[in-house]
Amino acid sequence: METKIGVFLCNCGGAIKNIDFDAVAKKVAKFPGVTCVNLSSNLCLEEGKEKMISCIREEHIERTVVAACSPEFTEHIFQEVLEKSGLNDHLMSMANIREQCSWAHEGDVTEKAVELVKMAVNKVRFLQPMEKKAVPVNREVLVVGGGFSAINTALQLSRVGLRTTILEKEAALGAGTEKLESFYGFYPSSMVSAVEGGRNIEILTSAQMTAVEGNIGDFGVRIRKGGEEISRKYGAIVIATGYKTELTLDSEPKLRAEDEAISGINIVSQEQFCRMLRNPSLKTEPKTIGFMFDFSDENSRFPTLATLNNALAAKKKWGSEIYVFYKSVKVDSEGVEKLYQEARDYGVVFLRSEISPTITIKNGRVKIEAKDVFLGEDVILACDILVAEELYLPAEETETLSSLLNIRVDSRGFYQDENVHLYPVSSERKGIFFVGGCRDDLDLGRVLTDISSVVINVHELLFSGKIPVDVERVKADPQKCVACLTCIRVCPHGAIQLVRADNSKEVAGISDLACDACGICAAICPAKAIKFQGYRDEEILAQIEAIGESSNGRIVAFCCEHSAYPAADLAGKLRLHYPENLRVIRVPCAGQVDVFHILKAFEKGAATVLVMGCEDGACHHITGNIRAKERVNYCNMLLKEVRVDDRPVAMFNVSPNAPYKFVRAVNEITKITKESGR
Amino acid sequence: MIIAERKPMEEIKQLIAPYKKVLVAGCGTCVTVCWAGGEKEVAVLASQLRLARSAEGSEISVLEATVERQCEKEMVVELEDKVAEVEAVLSLACGSGVQTMAEMFEDKPVLPAVNTTFIGMPEKEGLWVEMCGACGDCFLDRTGGICPIVRCAKGLLNGPCGGTRRGGKCEIDPEKDCAWVLIYRRLEKQGRLDLMRKYYEPKNYRAVKRPGKVQAMQA
Repeated sequence: METKIGVFLCNCGGAIKNIDFDAVAKKVAKFPGVTCVNLSSNLCLEEGKEKMISCIREEHIERTVVAACSPEFTEHIFQEVLEKSGLNDHLMSMANIREQCSWAHEGDVTEKAVELVKMAVNKVRFLQPMEKKAVPVNREVLVVGGGFSAINTALQLSRVGLRTTILEKEAALGAGTEKLESFYGFYPSSMVSAVEGGRNIEILTSAQMTAVEGNIGDFGVRIRKGGEEISRKYGAIVIATGYKTELTLDSEPKLRAEDEAISGINIVSQEQFCRMLRNPSLKTEPKTIGFMFDFSDENSRFPTLATLNNALAAKKKWGSEIYVFYKSVKVDSEGVEKLYQEARDYGVVFLRSEISPTITIKNGRVKIEAKDVFLGEDVILACDILVAEELYLPAEETETLSSLLNIRVDSRGFYQDENVHLYPVSSERKGIFFVGGCRDDLDLGRVLTDISSVVINVHELLFSGKIPVDVERVKADPQKCVACLTCIRVCPHGAIQLVRADNSKEVAGISDLACDACGICAAICPAKAIKFQGYRDEEILAQIEAIGESSNGRIVAFCCEHSAYPAADLAGKLRLHYPENLRVIRVPCAGQVDVFHILKAFEKGAATVLVMGCEDGACHHITGNIRAKERVNYCNMLLKEVRVDDRPVAMFNVSPNAPYKFVRAVNEITKITKESGR
Repeated sequence: MIIAERKPMEEIKQLIAPYKKVLVAGCGTCVTVCWAGGEKEVAVLASQLRLARSAEGSEISVLEATVERQCEKEMVVELEDKVAEVEAVLSLACGSGVQTMAEMFEDKPVLPAVNTTFIGMPEKEGLWVEMCGACGDCFLDRTGGICPIVRCAKGLLNGPCGGTRRGGKCEIDPEKDCAWVLIYRRLEKQGRLDLMRKYYEPKNYRAVKRPGKVQAMQA
């Protein structure tokens, strides 16, 4: 028996004016399987929802199509309606006839609306119910690191009721936090004793992580402490391993030990200088002090802060002559502009130079030579102490840990890929977070924000002890999987592992918890074994089929739901008009678009295919847009082998808030399509 | 694992030029893993053929099927009905699969759509490298588990040629490692460098019996 499909049309309280809804209803009623077509003007309001529920119940509807506004806004509302009416909430497909049809075009668009509804009806036939489940998770958290970020994260996590383990490679906590004392005026020792007395906190010092397996909610961590290896289970892992600093002076003169620093000439680090400042038994106070910073990296927050703080403190304490050699003094941290002003007011002299000054030691003093930009002259300064420029670098163990955790580092080697979707504290793997200096050069305000973010995130994930998931939303069919490992290698979220299916052969097992539903694996699987509910071949091809029937000159756009799709919605909202021949297929990620789906679109008569994903370096699924681009090139190659077209597949990167860019892309490609006579 | 590559499209088009109904037959084992002939590649090639014919203005009906192993008669037999419908079979399996298919369906032309290239392993996703030349006389025990027959551009058996580049790269392809440098380093790690001093006589490849046959003792 044919599946009963109910279609619900909504004119959005009259906001959709250029669609003849009666005509749409008449045509849609004739589609196979469509049992009833309802017209409404307020489907998302209580009245409309109630009508929808009673219709589904009375007509024994098995699948629903809602033709209204964008699913971005109302999908969840109609999913609730389905649940209330006893249908699985996945058995619905939406036709976006408002933002991407009525509002996006001038004049009557009834025909396009019919086609969009047909795409949705075709798709909905194939949808399968998806079970929901709450997966129990381990509520313990592992915090790696022993500095300010780590201690505070652990303290706060324990206060919200999550048992936390601190894993520190050094013998004691708080070793690196001394620096903060002079900058911010608080004493880490109290913090350390608070964490040591915390009932919900376990501290493992002189300990290192040696292996990590499993996923969010159930990470299995092996730890080496002393000569022993121990195994523990954690629900989440927070990395707070900090940073290291390094003096940029790579040649002679070499640094001297701290005790020599007091005697006269010296080149010191900020940290050594701090210690001098705090030293009550300092015999000779330095009369002239030079500082150098931000020549190697003008975006350095921490070195800027350290320089200004220390220069001011020295001025106040010793009244020395202080000269700061700088390139830009970027003051983006909170309160730093004020600090800079205060330092100037106190008489700290700032000398701007484009290139790093030359340092030599002469007559027992440090000689600094620079070309002052404002004076236009060479400046030579002989000083007692030079506080040299420091680079802010990833901590030693970053590389080892990132490979243990199977996560990326950014181009400078810090944790966290440079991807806006991950900021501030997330990683590409669910349940693994970064806090503070290990992910970027941060000031204390930002570190505190990080700590709060991570505590909120972890609390939300683990506190209830279970995480709701859609069961087997993405699944590898064990019969078809050939264990080629491709999906495991490409999954950006580390969600796939080899598992034994029914105690027999090894196949790809996708963790419902760790999977972020991008579909990159499904698109690359050479055995077509991986099925992503809602985006399986059947469902995508059914939509292409609907386009094909009235095609010719149609442009099929696979739009990522994190970028191009909302950009198209925004274009509609702003009434930015573009040609009607665009047919959008919503996908979870540009990386989910299969070569085979693109070729099928051409088989069905598409003139051009667009793949639209996130901007470069800002893919919601890290590598999805890169893979999409590779596939687009591959498709053009495949098509060139069999047709004469010039690059009929195009990739565009659009961010979700770039409606103008979206429309420009569509206009441009329409023009190219017309010119090429496709 | 056997690695294969799809043939150039021009060649495939010519192979099937006389036919209006063909079966594109994939294999679910080696060639699936190396992205040359699994279900995905079957779908892609079938789609390409349809597009090619429609661009030429001629008709074609393309059926698609993939069996678990095309080199097993018992598995190929599943395709009987589909093969009966078509004029020719375009096989995406390795040479062994093509021949099994051809033997099973003697009345139909079975055409190879891939070139069977070598026995290899994946270096990363989408990149495979040759590891074994199936010479029939394995001496990996003496070379630290690195086969110079295929991994040395010249197939040398007794140490590197004079052209090894700085950094242990091959003189023929500076992108590739010199197999003998790899062998030296491996043996060094194992404390077995004495093996480098051993002389191996040229292999007599003519002695390799064609066609090869392997009889398992327990069968």
